[in-house]
Amino acid sequence: MRYQRLLLPVLLLVVWEIAAFAVNNPFIIPSLTTVVPILIHPFSSSYTLGTGSLVWNAAISIQRVGLGFLIATVVAIPLGILMGRFQALNDAFDSLIELLRPIPPLAWVPLALAWFKIGLTSIVFIIFIGAFFPILLNTIDGVKAVKKTWLEVAMTLGAGERQILLKVLLPGAAPTIWTGLRVGFGIAWMCVVAAEWLPGISQGLGYLILYAYNFGQTNLIIAGMVVIGLIGLAIDLVFKSVERKWFSWRDLER
Amino acid sequence: MKINYLHLIAGLLICMLLVAGCTNQTTKTPPASNGTVILTYTKGTGPMPTLLGTDQIDGYIAWQPFVEVAPLAKIGRVLVYSGDMPPEGHWKNHPCCVFTATSDAIANRPDITNALTAALVLSTRYLEEHPAESAEIVADWLAGKGNFTYGDISVSSVDVLSSAFPTVRFINEPTDDWKRSNLEFVYAQRELGVLTGSLANSSDAQTISLLFDSSPYDAAAAMIGAGRIATPAPAKDPIGIGYLMSDHDAALFVAVKNWQYFNDTYGICIKPRDTSVSRPDIADLVVNGQKVAELRLISGDAGPQLMQLMATGNIQYALVGNPPAIAAADKGTPVKIIMALNVEGSGVVVSDSSPATDWPSFVAWAKERSDAGKPVKIAAPGKGSIQDVLMRYSLETSGLSVMEG
Repeated sequence: MRYQRLLLPVLLLVVWEIAAFAVNNPFIIPSLTTVVPILIHPFSSSYTLGTGSLVWNAAISIQRVGLGFLIATVVAIPLGILMGRFQALNDAFDSLIELLRPIPPLAWVPLALAWFKIGLTSIVFIIFIGAFFPILLNTIDGVKAVKKTWLEVAMTLGAGERQILLKVLLPGAAPTIWTGLRVGFGIAWMCVVAAEWLPGISQGLGYLILYAYNFGQTNLIIAGMVVIGLIGLAIDLVFKSVERKWFSWRDLER
Repeated sequence: MKINYLHLIAGLLICMLLVAGCTNQTTKTPPASNGTVILTYTKGTGPMPTLLGTDQIDGYIAWQPFVEVAPLAKIGRVLVYSGDMPPEGHWKNHPCCVFTATSDAIANRPDITNALTAALVLSTRYLEEHPAESAEIVADWLAGKGNFTYGDISVSSVDVLSSAFPTVRFINEPTDDWKRSNLEFVYAQRELGVLTGSLANSSDAQTISLLFDSSPYDAAAAMIGAGRIATPAPAKDPIGIGYLMSDHDAALFVAVKNWQYFNDTYGICIKPRDTSVSRPDIADLVVNGQKVAELRLISGDAGPQLMQLMATGNIQYALVGNPPAIAAADKGTPVKIIMALNVEGSGVVVSDSSPATDWPSFVAWAKERSDAGKPVKIAAPGKGSIQDVLMRYSLETSGLSVMEG
């Protein structure tokens, strides 16, 4: 069963290569033979137009996304808990959040540059924007979805607000918050290209893809996309495995 | 009868998409004239080889090294270099990339501005005297001396740059003729409606006064002539220099990569902090053995982006094409053009299947295709860019009309 998961990706590669052969125009579908040499030399910078190795660029991107995601988590979870718990706060923030939420992270780039200047802060801000809203909304939903009977039982037993938060609300909302973190990280990782599009950046997978685009290097673009996809997949597997381990009780709930 | 509103909305959306998909500006019959050519804007040069390789365009006009890439990667051939575009002689030595600075940097850091200008002037001289070595340095900066791969053909970046270099003229002196030749791009941008600010209705004299400040060049030339570069007072804050990933900005790349030569020979250099990387992003301006400024080398995707960085105080100097500098000055960005970096350096590429071999045969082919209802489609990097202006002007003076699509 485990290997069944690999079937479709392998099939995709085979179909791709057959299509490349059939179309016979490497500009439309480049053969994987132009991409594989880049991927099998992940520590070499000879295949990346002098932008450093794939591994180095990936490490830089992970570091940036991790930082943006961490800040988004630290801001969104407490705010989400408060908004989920107190309706007045929810009413105060809701319209502002719904106003800002649909704005794509890319649209923030000019303002990020003007406010935070060139450098890590601007990049982290773009990633923060991407990760913040899914975490916040899932936290609010998670807190609101905690069963009223649980809260009532806790209050009947004399639990204070702090105990309700730590013993009832947080554990009860944790599975949904975790889903928010998983979705948030996915979006943050997707934002890496937009974030590394900022000027003054000379490393990272997003930068690598855009640099390759500026020189029309489709094979390098595809290699960068593959690495982004693989890292995204690996991180999602980690999130899923934690979910299975810590939150499997949700499946038992009736 | 009940109306399912969701279905109604979905139906309307599908109809709109179908209409949008079937409506394409490029399929319209061109107006009756001597012929029409479609200009399509690709927001940079990166997509051009792919568009040509997939027959979505019939050719493109681009800056180097994208002109030279076409024959080497066997995706097209060079029709004409920009200096030879019609009318005859009009575009000889046409302006291209320029060195700019904020008015604040010129006024408040004159010594550093003069020293930086001197470093670039010396580097430009080196470029002209050592083209082969300089091409290799630029290939290292742009591509780590690796290969460019287009379709299934890989070409050495050193070969591409070596072919491109002879078609670019690296000069600096901001002569009166050169300043006046920049006015062509001011007129063109006015026609395109890009200039709406201080340059919208200015006289030629006012335009030149607003755009240029060649005093740093004069000071730099005097210091170089005297054989002694004055040591500026050290700058407290890092200084940002924006540049484009183009061989037109070779003066900066050579100045940084060959810092030891310039330090030993002239006592001034832009010394990279990390000499092991292809593209250093931090360097020190060193004059007479003394570090006078930390330089942040900021690459941009396009000139307008660098002008935006200048307007927001992120950078103080930039190596850009003259149209973005003109547009920025028009909108109130306190930017001045100090000197030229290069002239010419662009070219028109057509597909290998095109019958055109020179400009007259291109015009004949374009007329033929236009009469057949399938106008020739040429890609340009952006509206109002040097290449756009060159192409429009040349087409129109050859009796062809231009349609965007």
